[in-house]
Amino acid sequence: MRFRAKIVDLACLNHFSRVINTIAKLAKTCTLRLTVNKLYFILSDRVANGGVSMWCELCQGNFFDEFQMEGVAADHNEIYLELMPENLSRALKTAQNAKAVKIKLTNKHSPCLKVAVELPSLSSSSRIVTHDIPVRVIPRRLWNDFREPVVPDFDVSIYLPVLKTMKSIVERMKNLSNYIVIEANLSGEMNLKIETDVVSVTTHFKDLGNPPWASEDGCQSSAQGRDLQSMAEVRIDIKKLQQLLVGQQVNPTKALCTGLVP
Amino acid sequence: MKCVIGGTHLRVFGRAVHAMARVSDEFCFDPIDKGLALRSVNSSRSAYAYVFFSSMFFQHYCCTAAPQPCQKEKQLSLACKLIIKSVLPIFRCVNMLERHVEKCNIYTNAKDHHITFQLLCRNGIVKTHNLAFQECDPLQAVFAKHLCPNVLRAHSRLLADIMVHFPTSQEEVTLSVTPTRVCFKSYTEENTDFPKTMVTEIQLNPDEFDFFQVGVDSEVTFCLRELRGLLAFSEATSVSVSIHFDTPGKPVAFSIEDVVLEASFILATLSDSRSEMASQEPACFSQMQESSKTCTDKSIDKDGGAEAAASKKPRWNRQAQNTVSGAPASPLAKQVRSIPTVSYRDTAGTGGTAVTKADDRAVLEAESPYHKFHSLFFGAVSFKEDATSHTFHSLATASDTEEDFGKTQSSQVL
Repeated sequence: MRFRAKIVDLACLNHFSRVINTIAKLAKTCTLRLTVNKLYFILSDRVANGGVSMWCELCQGNFFDEFQMEGVAADHNEIYLELMPENLSRALKTAQNAKAVKIKLTNKHSPCLKVAVELPSLSSSSRIVTHDIPVRVIPRRLWNDFREPVVPDFDVSIYLPVLKTMKSIVERMKNLSNYIVIEANLSGEMNLKIETDVVSVTTHFKDLGNPPWASEDGCQSSAQGRDLQSMAEVRIDIKKLQQLLVGQQVNPTKALCTGLVP
Repeated sequence: MKCVIGGTHLRVFGRAVHAMARVSDEFCFDPIDKGLALRSVNSSRSAYAYVFFSSMFFQHYCCTAAPQPCQKEKQLSLACKLIIKSVLPIFRCVNMLERHVEKCNIYTNAKDHHITFQLLCRNGIVKTHNLAFQECDPLQAVFAKHLCPNVLRAHSRLLADIMVHFPTSQEEVTLSVTPTRVCFKSYTEENTDFPKTMVTEIQLNPDEFDFFQVGVDSEVTFCLRELRGLLAFSEATSVSVSIHFDTPGKPVAFSIEDVVLEASFILATLSDSRSEMASQEPACFSQMQESSKTCTDKSIDKDGGAEAAASKKPRWNRQAQNTVSGAPASPLAKQVRSIPTVSYRDTAGTGGTAVTKADDRAVLEAESPYHKFHSLFFGAVSFKEDATSHTFHSLATASDTEEDFGKTQSSQVL
């Protein structure tokens, strides 16, 4: 099992750091899955508790100048590691003007992800900062727990408004209620509602657009033939939504919300 | 005592108070005729902070109280012990201080034990803070900087750039030097077979330092949290920071010096536990203790050779030493319970009875065999003290006892 990677471009490093920061805000520990071409950050076991479950897929070529991975076995050429994304985030935080960042999987006393940052300095040789992040290698028998989640059957799918706007609205609503209702329809309209004994507040968004889903084996059947104006609503814990929105440091081109009404 | 601090220097003074706050909950305001000294010692006596502002730092400085007719000597102001929490709010937003406050008057009223901080702000606003103080005999760490074989000097910016890589929660840091390499590494007491925390290491070229002298290869571990105060303070003054240290177990001194001020933070370092034998400790202590004619039962153990050899080994074999897993507290915190109050001289009040060395040794041997921070040895600073304690460089050589130097004879330095 071997893994070495190197980032040289500052913009790539910055982008990668922001992705890691987002993940660090969502989960204390997560799984890092390495394949020949991709990295995945996975958090899979929270759905039952109504928390955040996450699947993040990154194409290594977009970030790394060098990327070499040799998995646990030839027919299972992947590595699954459990780590605290907070550590990785901290290691990259002070590396923003680095000449190069190298990441390597090592096993001196125990498995670690070694992040070596080469920083510019006034003297002849660079300053080297190394961070040894303890990781746990996840055995192959548990790999099934980390399969890609399937997008469930849904009634409505809609593009979200600018996340920053949504975040500030949800933050203010958080002070008034514990639950928020999101309702949306297939005409690009979405409402965020809270309702308590003393007050009810609704924020309306329109012209958001609905993503087109190519129908695959008819799994979007419940969305077909749906009245375009009719709203589907779901009620969720506002703190969890806030947690998701607060962590977003990467500006997405598209953010989707799909809702299934039971 | 009365002094006036001008607007531009308030920031520096404020940062000094913040630096003191990192070390302990209370600090000592010690006016002497050459200037004002601030001193602070932490509860386990393993960190000592000292900042001295010479009278030139102030717009106006006067430390003598009006002499009473019955007194023969000039009455110097007594040192005041203040609670940090009371003083910190006065200098809370250090960066704002410069903009809003024109000057700060500080004066003490010895009779009713009050100290007043008066901030004269813009637009005619005057903020007056009256605090009660306790008289105290300020302690002073006795540490011979000039005897240290290893000396590094760098601009405070460099040290700040190094420390930024360590998380703010990082308690201890190890500095290891060889003639060709300098390395700062986070220190953890964890079992290395199942580590849970991230370990950070920074390697530098000796070129980066303004002055670099390594007499003995050494690895010293000290508390970073307490040091951060000095680093923030030195950034405000933009003066170079000097680091004086020796083998593990002996204290490390971080100091800055300017025309109008000087500051020192002396931190105890972790001693290499393999070299901890009964005979070891007295040697360490004797290096730091002031010699005194009254302490005749001191056996100054000239074991220096053995000690130096034992601690010269650059790498500790941590696995052999860590017998307890999951120790949550830092070694420093652990020692708060077990380290005895280090003997210190309080000559002003009691007439110079020092705790005997035999007692110290007995107590130390009873301690747990884990890594120990050696406490610093302290001497009380008092203008009535005789000069036996000042036969080698102590921190406040320029202070009160200078006029006594001529009068008393010097005693044997160990």
